[in-house]
Amino acid sequence: MVKVYVNGVEVEVPPGVPIIEAVEKAGYRVPVLCYLNDFFSEATCRLCVVLVNGRVVPACKFPVSDGAKIVTESRELDTYRRMNFQLLLSTHRIKCWSCLRKTSCSLLDLSKQLNLGEFPVCSECPLTGDDCLVAKGEPCLGPLTAAGCSAECTRNGVPCLGCRGYIEDPELWRDSMRDLYEKHGVDGEKLEAAAKFFWSFLPGELKKIISEVSRDK
Amino acid sequence: MYRGRLNPREVVGEVVSKYGCDRGRLVQILQEIQKTFRYLPRESLEEVSEKLGVSLSEVLNVATFYHQFRLEPVGRYIIYVCFGTACYLRGASEVYEAIRRSAGLSNGRSTTEDGLLTVEKARCFGCCSLAPVAMVLSSDGSERYVHGKLTPQAGRRLVFNYRSKARE
Amino acid sequence: MLTQTSLNRILYGSRGFRIRVPISSCTLAAGAGEVYRKVIKVVEEHGVDAEVYRVGCTGLCFMDPWIELAREGLPPAIYGNVKTEQIEHIIKNYSEGDLSEATAVRFKTGSGGPPALEEVDFWRYQVRYVSRNCGLVDPESIYDYIETGGYLGLKKALYMKQEEVIEVIKTSGLRGRGGAGFPTWLKWKIAYEQKNDVKYVICNGDEGDPGAFMNRLLAESDPHRVLEGLIIAGYAVGATRGIIFVRAEKPLMADRLEKAVEDARKLGFLGKNILSSNFNFDVEVYRSAGAFVCGEETALIAAIEGRSRPRQRPPYPATHGLWGRPTVINNVETLAHVATIFQTGVEEFVKHGTEKSRGTKMFCVTGAVKRTGVYEVPIGTKIKTLVFDLAGGSIEGRKVKAVQIGGPSGGCIPAELMDLEMDYESLQSYGAIMGSGGLVVIDDSNCMVDVAKFFTSFTLAESCGKCLPCRVGMRHLSDLLERLTSGEASLEDIEVAQELGESIARSSLCALGGTAPNPILSTLRYFKDEYVEHVVNRRCPAKVCAKLVKYSVDPALCRGCTQCARVCQVGAISGSPGEVHRINYDICIKCGQCLIACPFGAIKKV
Repeated sequence: MVKVYVNGVEVEVPPGVPIIEAVEKAGYRVPVLCYLNDFFSEATCRLCVVLVNGRVVPACKFPVSDGAKIVTESRELDTYRRMNFQLLLSTHRIKCWSCLRKTSCSLLDLSKQLNLGEFPVCSECPLTGDDCLVAKGEPCLGPLTAAGCSAECTRNGVPCLGCRGYIEDPELWRDSMRDLYEKHGVDGEKLEAAAKFFWSFLPGELKKIISEVSRDK
Repeated sequence: MYRGRLNPREVVGEVVSKYGCDRGRLVQILQEIQKTFRYLPRESLEEVSEKLGVSLSEVLNVATFYHQFRLEPVGRYIIYVCFGTACYLRGASEVYEAIRRSAGLSNGRSTTEDGLLTVEKARCFGCCSLAPVAMVLSSDGSERYVHGKLTPQAGRRLVFNYRSKARE
Repeated sequence: MLTQTSLNRILYGSRGFRIRVPISSCTLAAGAGEVYRKVIKVVEEHGVDAEVYRVGCTGLCFMDPWIELAREGLPPAIYGNVKTEQIEHIIKNYSEGDLSEATAVRFKTGSGGPPALEEVDFWRYQVRYVSRNCGLVDPESIYDYIETGGYLGLKKALYMKQEEVIEVIKTSGLRGRGGAGFPTWLKWKIAYEQKNDVKYVICNGDEGDPGAFMNRLLAESDPHRVLEGLIIAGYAVGATRGIIFVRAEKPLMADRLEKAVEDARKLGFLGKNILSSNFNFDVEVYRSAGAFVCGEETALIAAIEGRSRPRQRPPYPATHGLWGRPTVINNVETLAHVATIFQTGVEEFVKHGTEKSRGTKMFCVTGAVKRTGVYEVPIGTKIKTLVFDLAGGSIEGRKVKAVQIGGPSGGCIPAELMDLEMDYESLQSYGAIMGSGGLVVIDDSNCMVDVAKFFTSFTLAESCGKCLPCRVGMRHLSDLLERLTSGEASLEDIEVAQELGESIARSSLCALGGTAPNPILSTLRYFKDEYVEHVVNRRCPAKVCAKLVKYSVDPALCRGCTQCARVCQVGAISGSPGEVHRINYDICIKCGQCLIACPFGAIKKV
């Protein structure tokens, strides 16, 4: 057994195990995504980074060594985790409204853990397929509103009015959202009217998309 | 040697029996196949995957990862324009453009329609002192020429020379 | 050590007259092939009793192709930049004792005449330690190598115990010449202490850094030295098999090494019971299919195993390497140093270098300098010695702006810091790395943002795609630099680049990702004003970034030849023959073809 210190807490673990086991034993958590215990530990997502004696290493792969001082939370680590998570999101085309994994999505969980509001209300909305309000032609703003409200309105059949504000990075959802509205033939003018209710100023990008939707119709 | 009419599956059989069904020899096996066909035909990759008991995706992973392997047929001569640092700073991109233009290549194509020339960017050949450099290889690997201190004009001449050489 | 008799035999050959023609990748590109054929023809036609002798390259690339004439009684004379039509004349004059046209002579016998090598700038600051045989001996002849003291080091090593061999390297203080400068003895010791019946030693000859070619030069000019070092390393750690990893882009290097292995096997330096020492060892040359990331240890091992992509370290290759066995991976130059240390003794090696890093290092100086080439200097030599004294400084009318050291993983050191003494630590603290030792000199005609863009697109293309920061982060950095060079970025983007670069560097999986942002971080550190200029004034000071420059016709020089109008693909240039032409900026796509086409230099970038 080797002794390591996780955020100052002393724990004993068998030699050679990955740091994450020591961290969990000490009662701390680090965000993980690609790591699947005993099945996949290639350390590719770099979200579980921790500091070991001042060096940035992935907790899921890096083995413990005797007397190692492990830090799981710091400003620096937080920056790297957020940065890497955002990089991951930048290649992820959000389509929560039609995603099968929406009820068990590690990305969503992580986004909540890291407090990054980059997902739409659809990720929390139980309505899918033909039940989806957009599919019914309603001007629902769910696909472009930041999640976190448990989708109370749409659960009860009321189209989302966007009271929580829009998602900040339009790069993430612009294409898929336009496809969605166009596919179901949602009225652009109605959409714009709905959006004006809470968003006294529409950011240029949103305005453009909404007007494109209404023009195409 | 160039044996264009051979059956890829047979060739793979020969090569694999030479190296043995060893997963660790995958790169060498692919190199050998490429030597025969000048590129890696899809069928040959399938055969390799079967023979070695490795999934096709893994074979493709290796075949697409390394620069040497190509999945498309190539021209008789391949002109590699070096894009190393020294070559880049001394104007390799202008030479490359000139060569592509005079070879009549556009829209991301790298092989001319007559199948004589292929123009590609390459990593450093280690002839930085002669920057910008182009290396010309015949597709069967038997001929190798290096041209240094190129200019766009010299690049155009290069295309002309090798095109007429390829026609012979 | 080389005795005078051996030296004479090597210099003049058995017939007393040797004509050296360098045959290596770079000299061949410069036309050494034709020179070689011509020399043979002249010698045959004129009945000159001389032996035409193929050697490797000296590293003095700026005078390629060169030939060296050495006849007993005359100082061996080197002729640089020879043309085939001069050869007859040169051989005739030299035979008659007229050396006046030579660039330099190896040593002087009298006063006057061309300068000796010790007197010329490009030679006298050098300490030719590992590169001593380059350009002197036939790389394909094992006997010539033995004549220069070759395989004597191996013999010495085999008389010692394994620990003693490691101890010798420890006292020498040799550090890895491939980049990070890890102590060689420590790597060996860890592998030596592993209890395993199969161990491997690998010679890393991947050398993917654009701008670095000392390993190719060394292995092409003196392959046996590298091989001898590898055998000694194999003996020290108790390995049974060695692998020389060479990339496919360097075929001649692989051919020469293969020939060396074959010859060494024939003479019993490889195989079973080497020199009756009970040590069994064999070497195989492995031709890599070429990927930059293979320079990284774990990726190199993966490549040999027929896979791709690096993995997280630890475990380090010294404990779990090729096929899970203890593996030592050493750079070509490191192994050549090992062989030379055993041949000449440690004292000779430790004479040079700094306290922390002993010995010499080969540096490739390329880019905007007068004398590009490979120079071997003691570690701790000032950058300016290399750039100005050895390489002759910038090309006429230009000013050296920065030196890029260490390839795509390295950084740019500005001209103000030319006094910096180059060793592993000092370079790191200034944001560059020693890397394999490639120096690319950048002058004021190059834009630093463009340089950063070049390296970023290089590493982006070479990223294996395994870990997230390198795969996606480099894409963002590359896009960002693309925006910067087209004048579409904001000042905020520069901050983002800095933050993102630091994050990638710290959180990537392997050394490639860990050093990939170095070019952008170091240019941001020393040349932020250029970045700001691109953003604020939308101007590229060096007039490189295509979207920020404008082409215009100088009416004083234009003769109306219509060349430019003909090459313009979008028809932006108008004017009838004999008249000054005009460029319509609304249509111009700034492809720059007109500038290349104009025979009078009338088209200028503004």
